[in-house]
Amino acid sequence: MLPITHFLYLAFALFLIGTAGVLLRRNVLIVLMSIELMLNAANIVLVAFSRMWGNTDGQVLAMLTIAVAAAEAAVGLAIVVSIFRARTGTDIDDLSLLRD
Amino acid sequence: MTGEQVVFYAFAALAVTSALATVTRRNPVVAAVWLVATFFAVAVCYVMLSATFLAAIQILVYAGAMMVLFVFVIMVLDVDERGREEHRRPSRIAKISYYGSLVLSGGFLTWVLVGSLARQYLKPGADLRLRPEFGSAEDVGHLLFTKYLFAFEAISLMLLAAVIGAVVVARSHRERAKEATRSGMSPEALHAAGLGDHDPAGDIAPGGPTPITDFGAPSATGHDGGT
Repeated sequence: MLPITHFLYLAFALFLIGTAGVLLRRNVLIVLMSIELMLNAANIVLVAFSRMWGNTDGQVLAMLTIAVAAAEAAVGLAIVVSIFRARTGTDIDDLSLLRD
Repeated sequence: MTGEQVVFYAFAALAVTSALATVTRRNPVVAAVWLVATFFAVAVCYVMLSATFLAAIQILVYAGAMMVLFVFVIMVLDVDERGREEHRRPSRIAKISYYGSLVLSGGFLTWVLVGSLARQYLKPGADLRLRPEFGSAEDVGHLLFTKYLFAFEAISLMLLAAVIGAVVVARSHRERAKEATRSGMSPEALHAAGLGDHDPAGDIAPGGPTPITDFGAPSATGHDGGT
């Protein structure tokens, strides 16, 4: 059995990469994919601790997270489609109407 | 080094490198393919944590359904990203990455502190005797339909809301105006709803609603010229 910490390090690395993608990328599709990466990292932590304690609750929570991620992807991509229709672009820096 | 460790490190390395590739690729289609590789590697990690049912769900939902959705949308949008990001203002990138790295290094520091303080709790569950059915579909399903029944139902409602919301959001302006006209909105109400800038009366021919698509005006013979 591997130490749980190694799974946590893997989850940390994935979350870090996802955060970097959300912060640094301008393509809104890549930003959505980075959010999926971060949700996956959270799932790894849930499953790792579920294994550590021999308790299945973490896996159920991870399943619920997957469902939330699917809904988020559907709504996010619908928003991308409608933005693309209105502005013909996927650059998130062009979407500053509510900020200005 | 045991075989378990070899498998874990190989797939952890695959997960990290393909995640890096996902974030750094310019073309979103290539990024989506790398993301699928990440999901597969994460599924292998789930198997090593004896969460076999969750690994199957991961591949079905993420690598199957969600990636198809992503690739479909990318294809529909017809995004051409090549060479578009070089001519951007670098000061903004610098600012964001500065604050981002500040936050991340702070998080890393916390991580190391917490990890070293709680080291005795983070020892593996090596001596833990797992039930043989741990992580199986029966095990997870039993918990899902008893203890987490409310969360399960709430999630199903949320998925329904997300599907309806996605359809509503992704409709085009023209489709919304057409539906509003068909449901009997007056031209003034249409204008107030921001749908009135193309003539709604033109959508309704005397013989009933004309099928108007986004692919140009409908022709009597069809798009293939009538066969």
